[in-house]
Amino acid sequence: MSSQSTAPTAAQNATLDSKCPQGPIQDRWDRHRFQTKLVNPANKRRFHVLVVGTGLAGASAAATLAELGYRVSVFCIHESPRRAHSIAAQGGINAAKNYPNDGDSIWRLFYDTIKGGDYRARESNVYRLAQISNHIIDQCVAQGVPFAREYGGLLSNRSFGGAQVSRTFYARGQTGQQLLLGAYQALMRQVGEKKIQLYSRREMLDVVVADGVARGIVCRELGSGKIESFAGDAVLLATGGYGNVFYLSTNAKLSNATAAWRAHRRGAFFANPCFTQIHPTCIPVSGSHQSKLTLMSESLRNDGRVWVPQKRDDDRPPAAIPAAERDYFLERKYPSFGNLVPRDVASRNAKQVCDEGRGVGSSKMSVYLDFGDAIARDGAPKIAEKYGNLFQMYQRITAEDPYHSPMRIYPAVHYTMGGLWVDYNLESTIPGLFVLGEANFSDHGANRLGASALMQGLADGYFVIPATLGSHLAGRKLPPVSTAHPAFAAAEQDVQQRVERLLSINGKRGADDFHRELGLIVWNYCGMARNAKGLDLALGKVGALREEFWHNLRVLGSAQELNQSLERAGRVADFLELAELMIVDARHREESCGGHFREEYQTEDGEARRNDAQFAYAAAWQHTAPGADKGGQPSWSLHKEPLNFEFVSLSQRSYQ
Amino acid sequence: MNNRLFALATSSIGRKALMALTGLGLIGFLVVHLAGNLTLLAGSDGAAFNSYARTIESNPLLPLAEVGLAALFLAHIVLGIRQAAGNREARPVGYRQFQSHGNRKVSTSSMLVTGLIVLVFLVVHISDFRLAARHPQGLAYMVHERMRQPLGAAVYLLGVGALGVHLWHAFQSLFQSLGLRHPRYSPLIDKAGRGLAVLLALGFAVLPVYTWVASPAKAAAKAPAESTSSAVSGPHDSSPAAATPSVTKEPR
Amino acid sequence: MSADHAPSSGMRLTLNIWRQSGPADAGRMETYHLDGISPDMSFLEMLDVLNVRLEREGREPVAFDHDCREGICGSCGVMIDGNAHGPEAETATCQLHMRSFADGAALTIEPFRAKGFPVLKDLVLDRSAFDRIIAAGGFISANTGCAVDANSTPVAKSDAELSMDAAQCIGCGACVAACPNAAAMLFVGAKIAHLGLLPQGQPERSKRVLAMARQMEAEGFGSCSNYYECEAACPKAISVENIARLNRDYLRAGLTTRD
Ligand SMILES: Cc1cc2nc3c(=O)[nH]c(=O)nc-3n(C[C@H](O)[C@H](O)[C@H](O)COP(=O)(O)OP(=O)(O)OC[C@H]3O[C@@H](n4cnc5c(N)ncnc54)[C@H](O)[C@@H]3O)c2cc1C
Ligand code: FES
Repeated sequence: MSSQSTAPTAAQNATLDSKCPQGPIQDRWDRHRFQTKLVNPANKRRFHVLVVGTGLAGASAAATLAELGYRVSVFCIHESPRRAHSIAAQGGINAAKNYPNDGDSIWRLFYDTIKGGDYRARESNVYRLAQISNHIIDQCVAQGVPFAREYGGLLSNRSFGGAQVSRTFYARGQTGQQLLLGAYQALMRQVGEKKIQLYSRREMLDVVVADGVARGIVCRELGSGKIESFAGDAVLLATGGYGNVFYLSTNAKLSNATAAWRAHRRGAFFANPCFTQIHPTCIPVSGSHQSKLTLMSESLRNDGRVWVPQKRDDDRPPAAIPAAERDYFLERKYPSFGNLVPRDVASRNAKQVCDEGRGVGSSKMSVYLDFGDAIARDGAPKIAEKYGNLFQMYQRITAEDPYHSPMRIYPAVHYTMGGLWVDYNLESTIPGLFVLGEANFSDHGANRLGASALMQGLADGYFVIPATLGSHLAGRKLPPVSTAHPAFAAAEQDVQQRVERLLSINGKRGADDFHRELGLIVWNYCGMARNAKGLDLALGKVGALREEFWHNLRVLGSAQELNQSLERAGRVADFLELAELMIVDARHREESCGGHFREEYQTEDGEARRNDAQFAYAAAWQHTAPGADKGGQPSWSLHKEPLNFEFVSLSQRSYQ
Repeated sequence: MNNRLFALATSSIGRKALMALTGLGLIGFLVVHLAGNLTLLAGSDGAAFNSYARTIESNPLLPLAEVGLAALFLAHIVLGIRQAAGNREARPVGYRQFQSHGNRKVSTSSMLVTGLIVLVFLVVHISDFRLAARHPQGLAYMVHERMRQPLGAAVYLLGVGALGVHLWHAFQSLFQSLGLRHPRYSPLIDKAGRGLAVLLALGFAVLPVYTWVASPAKAAAKAPAESTSSAVSGPHDSSPAAATPSVTKEPR
Repeated sequence: MSADHAPSSGMRLTLNIWRQSGPADAGRMETYHLDGISPDMSFLEMLDVLNVRLEREGREPVAFDHDCREGICGSCGVMIDGNAHGPEAETATCQLHMRSFADGAALTIEPFRAKGFPVLKDLVLDRSAFDRIIAAGGFISANTGCAVDANSTPVAKSDAELSMDAAQCIGCGACVAACPNAAAMLFVGAKIAHLGLLPQGQPERSKRVLAMARQMEAEGFGSCSNYYECEAACPKAISVENIARLNRDYLRAGLTTRD
């Protein structure tokens, strides 16, 4: 093992300091910004900031920091920063503008987000997010994001994900694309002005912690395989979520946890890993060849009715099943919200009816989403106007025509609320290592509301980090460091060895094969519903799979070339460990909340039952065997960040 | 000439615009030329045509116009070839298979070829009628003579045909290159362009056809056969021919 | 890769695929036989299957770029039988399904080709030329924090829609690939239109178009012959009207800017 240090984690076994300001919640962000040291404008160009990831969070952060005068280097695994996974977000972005005058406010967005997250998020962060939301829209419009508009030329809003106010801004079904292009263009402007150095096709494979502070990264240049080190004064990770641990998810294929996981191994705590979001309206799996799942907008549930046959193994085509023999289970169980219940509730119920043997389609793992009544009521043209492109997408993928027979949907992994633990400054437990966007754990608690991830990513990048980075850069003494520091050589050597190890196992199974198996284990035991027995079983299975991985992996080709199998193998290796931590976390959290549904903890009606007395905290896990890379047994210790609710009173969610 | 204009004119978009503008100028010339040609149809003796020719030739500004016209042609041709060469460079390794889905017709992908055919024809045509010694019986007679010969007529028809095909694409294309496109008007421009291509081609084709069909007897009556360079070798052996006083020699 | 054992159902295919070990390699076509392909598979899943089999046989899998697999990131894109992104209109390679092909078909799969898009390996390209074109001017300079309220700048709905039509470009490069001149005019035109149709885009309109067009040429892309192959190949059906707008804006800027 190397001589590289891991962060000394001052927090060792103490409670974590979230650094949240005190006082009236409306004033906290202002006060915090005032109290944070400013970096002298003349000094800014002396500071070199490394930004890893060019999704909404990374691109917006990099552009803004460069505008402020910092020297910035940006890294992404993609060929171009514009291809980051954020590009795929469809539905929209929330803000508390209250343009429709329907009673929205910063306070309501704050409240909805805390409640939607099932009271497992930090009040201070969420309030700040709601405050900033409005500036994001202003900023994006100024950049030329072509949001939908009304005939009068003003911005159009819609209600999204069951929200009772219309606070979602959107650009057709391509909001993520347009927001990302806005941030990407801002980023590229700085690249053009030589204020940002862009390194694409670079995979960060380690964080370099020198003298207890994150001072650099080690990357692999994916075209040539060259291992390169970069030194700087702060490292920002904006590397996205880890939903692909499930193999099948709506995340883009390259989305991965490696950057976060490498940081975790160097001392950054990982918080709430078991909080994952399953989206109810996805196109079901069609066969064992399936490589990823496609999300269809939630808006479909506004007009589609979800049902399955009442009888098990009913093989009749949907049209042959009379209304009396159909079970519109969401409408039946949740008369007031009906088909519009939150994502976690809709997903869980779909799973339940399929588990009962009442699923439809050849795999029996889907439920109908039927537009028959809506078409009869409004006519096909009206429905086509609203959902035409979604119907077309569905038809393209499944070759079934939703105008004539009901769609089939099934839940799919969509988003991960968990991530690297960060304080109010977005700083992880490694000083100088900041984490932004989906990669951190901060704002969504146990469940994320629709259209809030884009908001959070951009809030982090455009507005939070530019203000809080000063706490580190101006607040700490940072001796000059270069890649000559021994920590760099050590980290490079670790990376090199790991790559060689992956190539030299020379077993029989490809990385994808392991990944599929891993995904199935996590999906079955740590997916929409979990229980102690299943989780214990899964822990053993994942451990065994990880063991096999390091003995039976096969990666062809060499390290000195573009080698996509090698890239995947490294990512799968990290997913294998992360999966273990997810299971450990899910096992320890003996309550149900948001996306974490423990079957043992439910109300008589089958709803999630929280245990606020014992579990109103964020679970931050510290990796305690940091040297045990390359297949050794990982182990963790738990740190709890208590969550205090001063402004919102805890209550049980109810959608009946 | 300042830098900005130079940059504009030498940029790929600028070059395309210049091609469009020169093309437009050439189309204008063709329309006038055709109108002139059609005077041949007015009366069997070609008097109208001859007097039209004389009027033009006696205009003191003719040399200037001819220089201008030559410049238009030259610019159009050089730009076209330059563009084609550059475009070839933009894809050093080609495809094994390629299928077209654009609006490409024969006309579109053959712009360079039809352009070159027109160029060759042009040289023949100029040497035949512009540079060759004027026959005492007038230009109309020369035209009849030329068109009466199968080879002469064939070359002429080929040139005119290529021109039509060239214009089929060119007209709407020039609007696009100048940035003039609008969903309401572009379909009209498209149609107008094709109509123009057909009209010009047919219009010019009328001459040989008329010569053959309408006045074959007359055309055949006197055939001094003194005649002229063959179409193919035209450019070379026509220039040494003695110039008649009425012909102003151009620098080319 | 052979079909001899395991009586497999599903489609049989012959694949002629461009293989090139690195930027310096000359490259060549190689032929593979594949069976047991489900018509419900996506085209990329078919390549996944091929790769698994190749790996199993100890042969290097075919490298190809992909990410979202739903037609929005612009990573994927190959020529299939001479069609950029394959035979279906308005469909990116990743959205193509095998039911679009006949059982027993022989498919020719080549990388997008252009001087501006060097091949890195097999079907993987370097399209960073597009990034440099954007860096040259494909943006609105609006530093974070300086923005006025979003509704203080009304935009006619029709302009917003047209702008969005153009902004949908996924930067895949199919327009370049399909263009006989390997021109990038549709890509650049789309960005010019996206930003130029909005009031926010006006201050830099001239500067933007001049800079982007200059970079486009510097990257070695060809010029436009108005073949309109680009529009037909574009997975987002972006209109060549945007090219006219680019021409118009460029000429206007070139003729009228003062600096
Ligand atoms: C189908 C779908 C639809 C969605 N729709 C919505 C929606 O409507 N509204 C909403 O609010 N949210 C939505 N979301 C969620 C939202 O899109 C994401 O949470 C968000 O975009 C994440 O942004 P990010 O910047 O954190 O990371 P990402 O966009 O995932 O970017 C990660 C970046 O990190 C880079 N990277 C990763 N690993 C490394 C490494 N090791 N080294 C170097 N670089 C690395 C990548 O290249 C990339 O640039 C949707 C998600 C999905 C899957
Ligand atoms: S993989 Fe993203 S567009 Fe095809």
